[in-house]
Order: sequence, then C-alpha cells, then structure tokens
Amino acid sequence: MIGSEIVTGLTIGAGYSLLAVGVVLVYTSTRVLSLALGEMGAFGFYLGVKFNLHGVPLLGWHLSAFEAGITAILVGALLGLLVERFIMRPLTARPGIDKLIVTLGVALVLALVELNFISFDPYPAPPFLGSGHFVLLGATLTTSRIAELVAAAAAAVVLYLILNRTKLGLATRATTSDPTVARLLGVKVNNVYRFAWVTAGGLAGLAGALVSNTNGVLLPFSLTTALLSSLAGAVVGGLDSLGGAIAGCLLLGVVQNLAQPYGIAYESGITLVIVLVVLLVRPQGVFGRSSAF
Amino acid sequence: MTAARSGTNPLLEVDRLCSGYGTLQVLFDVSLTVGPGEVVALMGSNGAGKTTTLRTITGLLKTMSGTVRLDGHSITGQPPEALVPQGLVMVPEGRGMLRELTVQENLELGAFTNSDRASVARLMDQTFTTFPILAERRQQKAGTLSGGQQQMLALGRALMAAPRLMLVDEASLGLSPIMTETAFNLIAEVNNTTGAAVLIVEQNVLALDLAHRAYVLEKGQIVATAEGAEVRRMQGRLREAYLGAGH
Amino acid sequence: MPSEDAVGTATAPVVPGPGAGPARHRPRVELRSLPGLTAGVIALVVVLAAPALLPGFKLDYLETAISFAVAALSLNLLVGQTGQLSIAHAAFLGVGSVVAVELGSRGLAWPLVFLGAMLATAVAVAVVGVPSLRIRGLQVAIGTLVFQAFAIDLANSTGVLAATRSFNRPGYLQSSGHIYYLSLAVLALVAFLLRRTRTTRAGRSFVAVRDVEARAAAFGINAGRTKLLAYALSGALVGLGGALFAFQQNSLGSAVPFGLQPSLLLIAVVVVGGARSSAGIVIASFFIYALPSLAPSGLSKYIQVVFALFLILAVLFQPEGIGGVLKDLDRRLGDLVAGERERPNPRPMPTDPVEKAHSATALRQVPRPLAGRLPVPALLSARDVTVQYGGVQALQQLNLEVRRGEIVGLIGANGAGKSTFFNAVSGLAPVRGSIRYRDRELTTAPPASRSGAGLVRTFQDMGLVRADTVRENLLLSQGWLARYPAAAGILGLAGTLPTEKELRRRADMALDLFGLDHLAEERLGDLPYGTMRIVEIAAAVAAGPDMLLLDEASAGLTPEEANQLGYRFNALRDELSLTLVIIEHHVPLIARVCDYCYCLESGRLIAEGTPAEVVAEPDVIESFLGAGSLKPARGSA
Repeated sequence: MIGSEIVTGLTIGAGYSLLAVGVVLVYTSTRVLSLALGEMGAFGFYLGVKFNLHGVPLLGWHLSAFEAGITAILVGALLGLLVERFIMRPLTARPGIDKLIVTLGVALVLALVELNFISFDPYPAPPFLGSGHFVLLGATLTTSRIAELVAAAAAAVVLYLILNRTKLGLATRATTSDPTVARLLGVKVNNVYRFAWVTAGGLAGLAGALVSNTNGVLLPFSLTTALLSSLAGAVVGGLDSLGGAIAGCLLLGVVQNLAQPYGIAYESGITLVIVLVVLLVRPQGVFGRSSAF
Repeated sequence: MTAARSGTNPLLEVDRLCSGYGTLQVLFDVSLTVGPGEVVALMGSNGAGKTTTLRTITGLLKTMSGTVRLDGHSITGQPPEALVPQGLVMVPEGRGMLRELTVQENLELGAFTNSDRASVARLMDQTFTTFPILAERRQQKAGTLSGGQQQMLALGRALMAAPRLMLVDEASLGLSPIMTETAFNLIAEVNNTTGAAVLIVEQNVLALDLAHRAYVLEKGQIVATAEGAEVRRMQGRLREAYLGAGH
Repeated sequence: MPSEDAVGTATAPVVPGPGAGPARHRPRVELRSLPGLTAGVIALVVVLAAPALLPGFKLDYLETAISFAVAALSLNLLVGQTGQLSIAHAAFLGVGSVVAVELGSRGLAWPLVFLGAMLATAVAVAVVGVPSLRIRGLQVAIGTLVFQAFAIDLANSTGVLAATRSFNRPGYLQSSGHIYYLSLAVLALVAFLLRRTRTTRAGRSFVAVRDVEARAAAFGINAGRTKLLAYALSGALVGLGGALFAFQQNSLGSAVPFGLQPSLLLIAVVVVGGARSSAGIVIASFFIYALPSLAPSGLSKYIQVVFALFLILAVLFQPEGIGGVLKDLDRRLGDLVAGERERPNPRPMPTDPVEKAHSATALRQVPRPLAGRLPVPALLSARDVTVQYGGVQALQQLNLEVRRGEIVGLIGANGAGKSTFFNAVSGLAPVRGSIRYRDRELTTAPPASRSGAGLVRTFQDMGLVRADTVRENLLLSQGWLARYPAAAGILGLAGTLPTEKELRRRADMALDLFGLDHLAEERLGDLPYGTMRIVEIAAAVAAGPDMLLLDEASAGLTPEEANQLGYRFNALRDELSLTLVIIEHHVPLIARVCDYCYCLESGRLIAEGTPAEVVAEPDVIESFLGAGSLKPARGSA
C-alpha cells in the first residue's frame, strides 16, 4: 500500500519536475527566476483546446487532442522566444526583483487573457495521449501520469547531454559562470538566453498539456499553481542544480501524496513548512551551490 | 622583442573616444594606436579610466562619441563576441576565470568561435607546450588554481583564439612580484612567438619594460605618451610620481 | 576632493558660488509647488465629496479600492523600500480579514479588532519572511507564493470564510458614508505612517538593505533583522487593510479576493503606481479596483488585461510608474510658473577647516559607553589575522597595530589584501585570528555593532545609497546614534523627534565641514564621482567615529589632487581628533601624512615602519613598482 502511494507520489513529482527543469535552465543561464513558465505552458494548451472544441478561427478545422498538445508545446516555445527577446533582454542590467516581477506580469497577462478572452468557464482537458490505465507496483496510473514520468526523465537526460556534451552546452555553462567573460570569449550569450527560454517554454507547454490532463480541467493559474510546487521542489533541491531540483520535486510529490488523505490544506501546509525550513537551514537547497540571486 | 613598426598602418586605432557609466562621463577624448606586433602599455592609477577604456573598445560599454578601428574598419560599438573572430581578444581584470569549468573547458571556450576541429586541437597542443602546467591540470576546476596558474590559463585561453591583438587588463592583480614578472615575461613571449600585438593596461610600471610605446591615463584623459627610449624616462617619472622623489 | 583654494589659506573667506544662497530660492520654491498643491487640494475635495457625487451602491467599490490600496501601500514597504517581494499580499489581507471577523463576531470593540488583526497578520507575514534572516536573494518570494496556495487551501477546507460570521459593526458606523470616511481615514493614516517611516532609522535601514545589503553592517544595520522588521511592519499594515475590508463587507463568504490573481494584481498596482509614490499607488488602486465596477460592464475585462500589460510596460519603460509621471509633470508645471530651477554647482565648495572648528568639536560629542582612558596604547591591534576565500588566502597571519591619534597607511599593489583587512575589521569577511579594538575582541562582535564602537569605514567603490539624497545618506550613516525602537520612530513618540533633529543637525554640520551644504538635497547618484567620494567621507565623519578607515579616498584623482587630499586627512586628525587608517596608492601622499605605514603583498605583511623606512625597503619597491625598478632595464629599448 505504502509502495503504491510512493509510486503515485513519484509520478506527481515527475510532473512538477517537468516545469522545474525549465525553471532551473532559465535560472542557471540567465539568473532569472521565472514565475511565468506555468502560465506560458497553460496558454498554449488553452489555445489548443479552444481549437479542438471550436475549430481554428477562419480556417475552421478542428484540432485533435494530440494536435492540441503539440500546439501547447509550440506556443510555449514561441512565448519563450518572445518573452526573452522583448521583455527579458532589455532588462538584463536591472535588479533581480524587477525581472522576477516582470515574469509575474507575464503570468498575470496570460491568465487574464485566458479568463477574459478564451474561456470564462474551466475548460475540459482532452486526453492528450489517449486515456488508459497502467498498474505499476500496485499503483494505478493514467496515461498522462506515465507520460509525465517519461517526459520528465527524457527532458532531464537530453538536457544533461546537451549541457555536458555539446558546444551549446559549453556556451551555456560558461554563461552561467560569468556572462561577461563568456562574451569576451566570443559566446553569443543572447543565443544562450534564447535557447534557455525557448526550451523552457516548450517544456512548459508539454507540462501544461500533461498536467491539465491529469487534473482533468484547465483553469487560469492552474499551471501556475503546479509551477509553485515545481519551484518549491527546486528550492528544496537547489535552484542551480538540475538533478537537485528533480530530486526535490520527486520528494515533494511523495510527501504531498502521503499527506493527501488528511486534506488539501495538509498537502500545501507541509510544502510550506518544508520550503521555509530549507530556506532557513540551507538557503541554496540540498544540492545547490550558490544562494545568491 | 620585435621593435615597433612606425611606418605600417595601425592595427588598432582609438580616436577621441568618450564613454562612461550612465550620465557619468569617465573617458574624455582618449586616442591611442597599437601597431601590428607591437606591445603598448596604457598606464594609470586606480580610477584613472584604464578598465573603462578597454571595456569601451570591446563594446562592453557604450561609446558616447569617438571611433575605434581595427585594421582601418570601424568596430565602434560592436559587441565583444563579434570581435573575437576578428582577432581581438581581451583578458579581463581578475583573469576572468570560469571557475566552475575545468581548465580544458576554459581553453576550449577560448577557441569558441573556431569551428575547425583540427586547428583547435593544434592550438590546444601549442598552448599545452607553452604552459605545461595547464596540461597537467586539464581536468581541474579553474577556480582551484593558484593565482599564477590562473594567469597562465587566462593567457593560454586568449591564445586559443589565435589573436592578432590581445588586450590585457592588469595582469599583475594580486600576484607576488615574482609572479608578476613571470606574467609579464609570458606576455612578452606570447608577443614574440605569435606576433600578436598587445595592449597592456597596468599600474605596475614594470609593464613598461615590455612596451614599445606607452600612454599615461589620468582622470580619463591621455596626459603623456612615449615611444622607444622615452618609455624608459616615462617609467622613471611614473615611479617618482608613485613613490615620491628619491627613487 | 575639496577645492585646492581651501587648503592652507586660513584667512580666505568662503565665497558662495552663484545660486548657492538658500535665501535667493525661497520665494521661488513656494511658487514652484503651486501646481502640485492645487492638484492636491482638488483631489482632496473630490475624494471628500464623493459620497455626494456618487450613488450609494457605487461607494462600495471605492471602499474596496481603499482596502486594496492599503494592502498595496503595505506591499510597497517591502517591494519599493526594502527590495523584498511578497506574492501573497492578498492572502495576508485575507488573514487580517478573517481574524477581524473572528474577533468582531465575538463582540470585541472595533478598534481592538483592528489592532488584533494587525498583530496577527504581522506575525503571519514575519513567519513567512523568517528565511530572509539568512537569504540575501529573492527566494523568500517563493515561500510567500507557497503560503498563498496554503492560505487558500486552508480557507476552503476549514470554512473560516463562512458568510454566517460577521464583523458586528457598531451602530454609529453603519451608513455607507461613514464607512467611506473611516476607510479614507485609515488610508490617510497608513500613507502618513509610511511617510514617517521614510524619515526614521527604520526607513533608512530598509533602503540600505535594498541597495547596499552586503555593506549595511557598516552603517550599524543588521540586514536580517531589518528585513524581518519590514515584513512585520508590512504585515501590520496589510492586516489593518484586511480589518478594514472585513469592516466594509461585514462578512466574507468567499476566498476570491484573497487568491493568487489578486496578489499579482497588488504587485501590478505597486509597480504601475510607482514604488516611490504613495499617491501613484492610490491612483493605480482606483484604476484597477474601482474603475472596472464604475465603467460599463463590457469594458471591465479589457481594463484588467490592459492594467496587467501596464505592469510589464512599466517595468520596461517607466520604472517609477504613475508616481514618476506625476513628479515629472509637477516639475514641468513648476518650471512653467517659476522658471527653470538652477542646479547648484555639484562640486564641494571651498571650506576652511580652522573656521569650522566649532562644527568639528560638535561632531565629536557623541555618547559612547567605551569612551575613557585606554589601558593599552594600541587602539586597534590585529594578531595573526587570516582571511580565506575558497582556496585563496586573501590575508595570511597579518599582525598590525594602530595607536590613538595616528594616521596609519596601508599600501601594496592591487589585490594585495588591503581592502580585505578593512573587511575583516568591519566584520564583512570571515576572520581567523584576533582583532582587538579598545582592548575588546572585535571578531566575535556583530558587524553591525562596530560603527557604534567608533569604527567607521568607507568603501573603494562607494558604499552609499545613490538613489537617496546627500543628507539622507548622512542620516543613514549615523544609524547607531538613532537608538529608538522602530515603532516609536514611526509613530513619532517622545524622544525620537529630538533624536532625528539632532542627527539632522550633525549631518548638516558634517556637510558644512566638507563644503557640501549646498548639495544636501541633491540625489547622490547625480553628483560627479569625486564629489561622491567626499560625501562618503563626510557621511563617515557624521557617524562620530574614533577611528576612520578610508579605502582609496584618492582613487580617480590626479597625483596632484591626491596630495591636496592629504591636508584634509591632517585636518580630520587634528580638528576631530580622529585616528585614521588609509589605503592609498599615492606614496607621496602616504609619505607626507602617515605616522606609520604597513605594506602588504599577496596577503602578507612585507614591511612596516615610518613611511620613509617602508618606501626605502627593497621588498616594497619591488612589490609596489615591480622588480624592474631595481634592476637595469631589460629589453632593447
């Protein structure tokens, strides 16, 4: 019984880590803590679902559920591109709090557009990868949960390989270490920033589709609420450590799932306690290196 | 040491450069040249505007007015990443170590804009021949190196770009006199073996030992220049200004 | 750098430059403020007459807007003043409301209900803000975001928002108009308190933490405690807003006003309104909370989105928000009616240290428990001081001593460890070994206590707040002299006002002493670099030090000007009986003013003695000037 609870918890954590991977990527390469990623992912899926239900405006054809998911990924990546180029880049030299606030602004704008111009009522989330159940170590898991687990693992492995085996990865790590020095060595840091935001945006889109599937509905801020657990996990594990953030998310998923029977307030309450304690005792996170940003 | 070539066209030409931070102007009409293969020293005390000059030349700081030319073509306002492929490389103050990266990765980044693997491998071999200690420590994190080793890595990394012009910002920073001398000797050697021109920015007057020509910067203005034998006299004057009469 | 004329010419009168006399400006200043004053009066009349102008039911929206304006103002205490971010201020508003309803429904008198809500919310916000004691970054914001979710989950699962409970407003405060005026009074009170905060030690500490957190200890400020105070204070104010909201609504019923979206909107209100302007924030609150309800129904959804877009646009293009626009407008209108304002010459005016002897004496008169005769001749002594950063030893086994009334020089090449020693003394670097000051161990004393003990320092690259005026910086540096509790200062309780007045007097005397009095109201960041450096020394002197540590006061000056600075050092020692430790590169300056001199190289002491002895040491020459200066020149030149 406890084994199946843990497995379920791990899949929940995997969903969180899908967003956390993007948070860590953006944070390490640009030193920006992005609170916009959740809504960026949800926005694409909102559009996808709208096209699924009501057809694409002017063209009239209806997207399949799968195509809605693809739309989420593409729109997420596109939003990443736009946000980096037109919002974050002009703010490069500004204090961290300005950048943090502006990402909240992006989340707010997207959520208000979803609410006021896409659908005032919650959208049903169509099964992106079909519906089905699997039983793993006694835990019954839906397709979307399994997909979250697989996608999170794949994203982590691919990103690890990119960062450590490619020239783009070397450029990214150089930029993380010191953007000015990286530029003096010929690294086009703007390309690194773009890579980080587009990748994180695309992953957020994927997370938007999958997490909404799991939740069953799509609401404004529902993905920002999911992002919040990702952030909490990343803080616990270390904002500048890919592996640490994933571990933090998995841990949080398990803990939340174990607390779930006692009520939703216990789930978020224990998350709050864990975050506060970690911030106080080890501000850089369990696996993190630097606590300043 | 190759002698200054006064006849040839300058490699780097800085013409009445003004710049600063925000509304605060730091540089006032700074003009200087560096010829091919030349070692030029830009001397000045803390706060005189030396680093600001280098940051403006490399495009890290916005130019208020004036021009910077490389090979006669204006590079004014070009970002640093665009200058590396043109053969202009800067070794920043404090040596600019990418501390979390290994020695080898630092060196690979030196040749970042070079996509020819064979030539990168050749440059890497050359660098390891010049600085054998770097070969020994290739897998070590740059942040764990000693100050002198870091200076070697900084120079070696700059060499990986096969530069025509190296801008070196305070190579002596935090080094003992022996290490400082070693660093200056290395710069002279790099200049000798690769023929790369060097603009060395220093407050340590020992730098004038390697300079073919020199400028003195004070409150953002060039207040003195010297060439050939005059460099020696300038060294004496600066020493006096720093240490007082009697030295 | 004081002008050269001042030095050595004891009889030269102080000649004020053009436009420097305050008297010439006075009539213009009044004319100048006319447009702003007019606008303020009109706004006040409209606000007060609103109940007569608007049908009763729409007054509710204005009242709600006022509650949220209070929340936004309290959020600005964190965001604008302290540089911290709370993404849960709507939830905190909810905490205040819930507590108020809980207390009110039990029949407590409404002023006590308000106080209770303030106290409870202050505690809640402080608890969430506790990690800020350890963290310099913005991760605390994530904690607040998690709290936001927790608070909503808690409210939804416990039913504390059930509409059956009500505040129980007293009979004499039931009418819509009465509630409106009460709300206005609360808003005015909060705006007033925030304005007062700005002029007290607490407010200055907030700004110092925001802009120069790593160096706040040099002003006697404990950064962690200051942030926690900001969280608690912000909590008390948002709790007041919450109580007001509960009072207006009488019963709650829904968690919607306290959710994530309202929290984000509050941040938008602060940014769009402008972190430096309470008026701007109140105007922004009106736009987002009252306007959608007053406007035609089809329009409201656009207003929200447009407002959220304004948040992004404001950060990008108008960081001072509506407040900045207002200020700009006020300045232009002022120029229009009063002519363009003459700006004072941004350089220090010549002063004569001898004539200013009175100021100098007065600045010395600070109460210090440690004052008295010294048991040992050394005022400061360092024994085997080692500072290590990662693998690098920035200081190794350093031994040195500074005696009362000396000017001691610290020389060495860049990176030799001179500033590291200052950091060790002021508690900004991890130290092994012992540093004794007035025969007390310094290494175990909290960094923020050192300015109070008489140890005051400057920084090589300026440690002051550039966004503040020159005078505000001089008040900031005297932090240790303002020993009143933060709350007493904000409420203007007995003793605090005279203290502030005294600090101001000291600041003005220090400005006078350095010929900076005409620049008191200028923003520090607008001054030339050389003048900023003088302001920094003036700020250090205003703190009433016994020992002044000056880090490269002559940087950026020509050798000649640096020499002139030497006279200033002598005056500081002779007129103010200070002991000086100076880090210098200009050896002639060292040679002329220093009694004793230490030379560092790569973190080690390589020579000490009188300047003449030290400068004659071969090691020093080699270290400072390079080995080449002793050897015959190399090369072919």
